[in-house]
Amino acid sequence: MKLALSLNGDAVSEAAEPRTNLADFVRETCHKTGTHVGCEQGVCGACTVFVDGRPVRSCITLAAACEGAAVHTIEGFEDDALMAQLRQSFSAHHALQCGYCTPGMLVTAYDIVRRLPDADTATIRRELSGNLCRCTGYAGIVAAIEAVLAESPPPAAVQPLPRQRRAKPSLAATGTAKADTAVPAAQLEEMEPLTGGTRLTRSLAVEAPLAKVWAVLTDLDAIADCIPGAKLGTPPEGSAGKGEPFAGAYKVALGPVTATFRGAGLFCADAADHTGKVVGRGRDPLSGTRLSGELAFAAAADGDTTRLDLDMTYLVKGPLAQFSRPALVEALADSILADTADALAARARGESAPAPQRAASGLSFLRIIFARLFGRKA
Amino acid sequence: MKPAPFDYGGAEDLAAAKAALAGEGVKPAAGTQSLGPMMNLRLVRPGALVDIADLPALREVRETATSVLIGAAITHAEIEDGEAIDPTPGWMRAAAGNIAHRAVRNRGTIGGSLAHADPAADWAIVTTGLGATIHIDGPAGARTLPVEDFLTGPFTTALAPGELIVAVEIPRPGENARFGYNKYTRQVGEFAKASAVVLDDPANNRRRAALGALGGAPRLIEDVDALIEGTLSPEEAVAATVPDLKVPTLHVTALTRALALMDQR
Repeated sequence: MKLALSLNGDAVSEAAEPRTNLADFVRETCHKTGTHVGCEQGVCGACTVFVDGRPVRSCITLAAACEGAAVHTIEGFEDDALMAQLRQSFSAHHALQCGYCTPGMLVTAYDIVRRLPDADTATIRRELSGNLCRCTGYAGIVAAIEAVLAESPPPAAVQPLPRQRRAKPSLAATGTAKADTAVPAAQLEEMEPLTGGTRLTRSLAVEAPLAKVWAVLTDLDAIADCIPGAKLGTPPEGSAGKGEPFAGAYKVALGPVTATFRGAGLFCADAADHTGKVVGRGRDPLSGTRLSGELAFAAAADGDTTRLDLDMTYLVKGPLAQFSRPALVEALADSILADTADALAARARGESAPAPQRAASGLSFLRIIFARLFGRKA
Repeated sequence: MKPAPFDYGGAEDLAAAKAALAGEGVKPAAGTQSLGPMMNLRLVRPGALVDIADLPALREVRETATSVLIGAAITHAEIEDGEAIDPTPGWMRAAAGNIAHRAVRNRGTIGGSLAHADPAADWAIVTTGLGATIHIDGPAGARTLPVEDFLTGPFTTALAPGELIVAVEIPRPGENARFGYNKYTRQVGEFAKASAVVLDDPANNRRRAALGALGGAPRLIEDVDALIEGTLSPEEAVAATVPDLKVPTLHVTALTRALALMDQR
């Protein structure tokens, strides 16, 4: 698609994909490389630019959403008296070290001076908190902004523009996409020990004799059927450890998040004392998120019922882990553990497995753990 | 990382947006301050985005006798700056001003935040405390839901496929109403580790208190009278509200602080 906007006062009309973010558009298409890209998640602030006179994160702003907008990057302030004073002050107060964060810091500093002329040190610090400096040069940066505010700074040439409707292309006109691409086949990864994971336990009384419960626990194909979204694959050749190898895939959706984990695992069960363990390692190839899980289970007769103890440990690494917060993940994992326990109990009683109740269908990527745990090619 | 490819387009009006959203894998997008990072990480891979950020129907702020309807595409910064009417005595402005950072607030929208339903987000807990009503439109027509029925779980809402939030209706608090909101973050602008909100609105006979930043949606505290009257301690209230979770000390702290903030008003 063709994108037209004003960049530092000049009209620009260039091709851009719908997925191109504003940071990449100004850097790679328009060659204004002063805007720096750090985290690409809107956290670090190095990419902060003005759009219609308001500071925004260009790494999480689609270029296409800026059709017709006025964009100012750090290169766009050559004749701007306020930015000149900020630059001079940054220099005088040693407010730049490696300089990587500086373009974003200056844009934010400009916004602070313009919007909050009475800002005190605490306010400056709070307003700057969205811009990270890996050299930890904050003291100099804060001092530089304080000095400008104290010197009755010149008026800002860049001011917020009124918000207005802008013509956007119709959906049909942009077409390039299609979503999910095929994912590669499973590979049995090295079974590294699972350290630093989160551990959850659950015990329940199943109204069925031990023999029936044990039969379910070792009929993993049947259990995999209880878990929506799980698919068993052909087990990989060779195994990196003791036990029976299996392969599987699990497609899950957590709100807007979708991930297809593919991986492999090992299963072992000891019929003598009715204990078993499953370990699995999976990866979502598109996000690069890695998931490891271990489930130890133990069944013991208690009259006509069976006591079932589940002990789960899981570890998420990569983008999903960066994005999630532990309390959230733990609550999800616990609800999945509960659903799984219910499904096991139902099977053992000879009923068909209930649909997951606590974790709504497709709620959690963590259910992959259970796909791993119970998915096996007999 | 860069997003996986997707189609992108605008819509003339709400009807056109609704028609576009009926497509497979099509998502609405406004400020993309939550969706953008998730797409960059390829955790979200939409087939297409419909840009609804400047749809007039979603940019309206409408007053009624008892409430204010804030359009879904009103940004946090517009609420912070008072450009959008705050039906409360500054409570929403104060909450808006503490969402993430200014550069995020300039694009992020109240409707987008609620649709994203991050359990630790500010609007989820604040609108729950204020007793907001979510106005929804979609293939089956328009409907409304109390926010506590709208938010159903982590990143999960009652929105059906093709539906979108049109406005968030905030009831006007009456004379002498008091409100307290506290969130605990390790750093300014981070997502909350714990949050709590308390409202005492005697003129409307409305009392609400809720905990946020839990594993799922905010949870209303049942015995809100006892909590506000001081016969139920914050510890007891938290324990009674989230009995299935380990009682998080930070939530007790957040609730204690929210009560203290309420008393200052």
